[in-house]
Amino acid sequence: MTASPSPVRPSALALLITAVVTGAFCTVAVVTAEPGSRAVLGWSLGIAAALLSAGAYAVTHSVLRNRVLRERLAALNTQISAQEANAARRSADAVRLDAAHAADRKALIAAHTAELRRAESARAAALAATANAAGRMQALATGMLADLRDMEHRHADEEVLGDLLHLDHRTAQAGRLADSIAVLTGARSGRRWARPIVMESILRGAMGRIGGYQRVRLHSTSDAAVAGHAAEGVMHALAELLDNAANFSPPTAEVHVYVEEVPAGVIITVEDSGLVMSDVQLRRAEQAVSGRLSDLAGLSGTRLGLAVVGRLARKHGLTVSFRPSARGGTGALMLLPHELVTHVAATPAAAPLAPALDGPQDLLPPEPATAESGTPAASATRAPARGGEPETAHEPAAEPASGTARPATATAGSASGSTAGSASGSATGSATGSETSGEFPQFGESGLPKRKRGRALAAAHPEGPDAPAAPARATTAASDAAARFSSFRQAVRANSPTPEGNSE
Amino acid sequence: MSRPGRDDSPDRLYTLTGGRSRSGSDAFDLVTLVVTESEPAPGMQSEHAAILRMCRFPTAVVEIAAELGLPVTVVRILLADLHDTGRISARHPRSAHRLPDPDILEQVLVGLRNL
Repeated sequence: MTASPSPVRPSALALLITAVVTGAFCTVAVVTAEPGSRAVLGWSLGIAAALLSAGAYAVTHSVLRNRVLRERLAALNTQISAQEANAARRSADAVRLDAAHAADRKALIAAHTAELRRAESARAAALAATANAAGRMQALATGMLADLRDMEHRHADEEVLGDLLHLDHRTAQAGRLADSIAVLTGARSGRRWARPIVMESILRGAMGRIGGYQRVRLHSTSDAAVAGHAAEGVMHALAELLDNAANFSPPTAEVHVYVEEVPAGVIITVEDSGLVMSDVQLRRAEQAVSGRLSDLAGLSGTRLGLAVVGRLARKHGLTVSFRPSARGGTGALMLLPHELVTHVAATPAAAPLAPALDGPQDLLPPEPATAESGTPAASATRAPARGGEPETAHEPAAEPASGTARPATATAGSASGSTAGSASGSATGSATGSETSGEFPQFGESGLPKRKRGRALAAAHPEGPDAPAAPARATTAASDAAARFSSFRQAVRANSPTPEGNSE
Repeated sequence: MSRPGRDDSPDRLYTLTGGRSRSGSDAFDLVTLVVTESEPAPGMQSEHAAILRMCRFPTAVVEIAAELGLPVTVVRILLADLHDTGRISARHPRSAHRLPDPDILEQVLVGLRNL
């Protein structure tokens, strides 16, 4: 009713026209009627006129309204049909679009999957290549270090040795870098140690791998040792912590390392007096060393150290934390769980071996009498060894050993603990020196006794069954030496101008 | 010995000497005899302690080097450290050494020629 023209106005017009016409007619009729019936006529005609007018109004209004409504109905119908058509079109569109979208999506997903797969395989290939290269670098570095150590033993010249040590240091650092890359790429660690490594060696091995090792001060009285399988990892992690400490402190400041044994294991503390880490840095560092972040996405390129520490910590169960240091810098604490810690019984060889061997035979308990006479030890001990050819001398000289050769018997006597003469004192030194390792000195091509490497270390290991066997072997060794020397003397005296009553 | 073995020691030689490659003292040659003057103290470098234990009776520098498995130059540096702190004393072997009988030496020489 709002949109279409209102039916009230034409209805009112019809009402007005009807009223005027009927009013005029009534007036005329009333005027023309006789005066007696004029009032009745007037009233009835008036009422009829009013009714007529009302009827005219009603008819007009309803007709008009009807028309308006019909028009509106038609309009609505067209609108609805239009909308229906629209809706149908849209739904068709939607279906079409859906199909298109689904295809697109599928293509996209496929593309992404392919991309992801390619990236993954590229990453795996890069990792494998890097790990391989790192492993070879490690092997090279390890080989070079061994070669360098060999050369260091060969060249006594101080200049040459200095250069070799310099190279050694550089190579150790390169080896650490290779180790770091190997750890990050998940390759196996570079070296395995077959035996527990004492704490001092762990600390020194770690500090030898960093540039500023001369600034590192070790404070350790611990005789703990780290199990061989974890030793390399611990050393490496410690080296990274030391490197951090050395790099983030003034170039003249010292870095202090403390070792403390606690019920949970061993705590190694690295304290520097450099920059104090802020809370955020501390948190970030703690997170890096926690080992929870296992992907390489968080690597910053230039700072691999803490990520390496984190990896190693997770691998070996180490706990690393940071705190402000009392020295003004940062302190890094590394807790080695007690599973990794062993105690080698008394590193010095003296303690376990002393009761097993005869007094003067042992290196360590000094015999006051021999102190003075023991000086020619080196020369005299070599004499019997050099004189006798070990293979041939053994059998023929075994029997006459006691009677013929006086110096030889003297050595035997001294070895078994008799009064120490000058020659005997020396012999004890040599004989026992080789005896601590539990075997007779080996002879090289030149006929000189060859020292076995790591003998002091072997002596440090108290092998239970070997210890009681040592004294017996000591005496036999001494008599062997005596036999050999006597055969030498026999050989000499045979043609000498003044033979003195030999077995011949 | 040239190949890395499982029994090598992980510490490098320069860490033993703090990077020095010369001893700076001529007190020690190969046959200098070294005698301990004091007992090893706890917290000492293990090589120092080993030298002190080893030299309770006079021991030549070469002997020490061979026992420790270290180059003589390095051992001399270690010995110089100990010497500077008065923990060892050094003497030259000539004073305590008695040359063997010349007669025996002559006989040895003859014997060698006859071999």
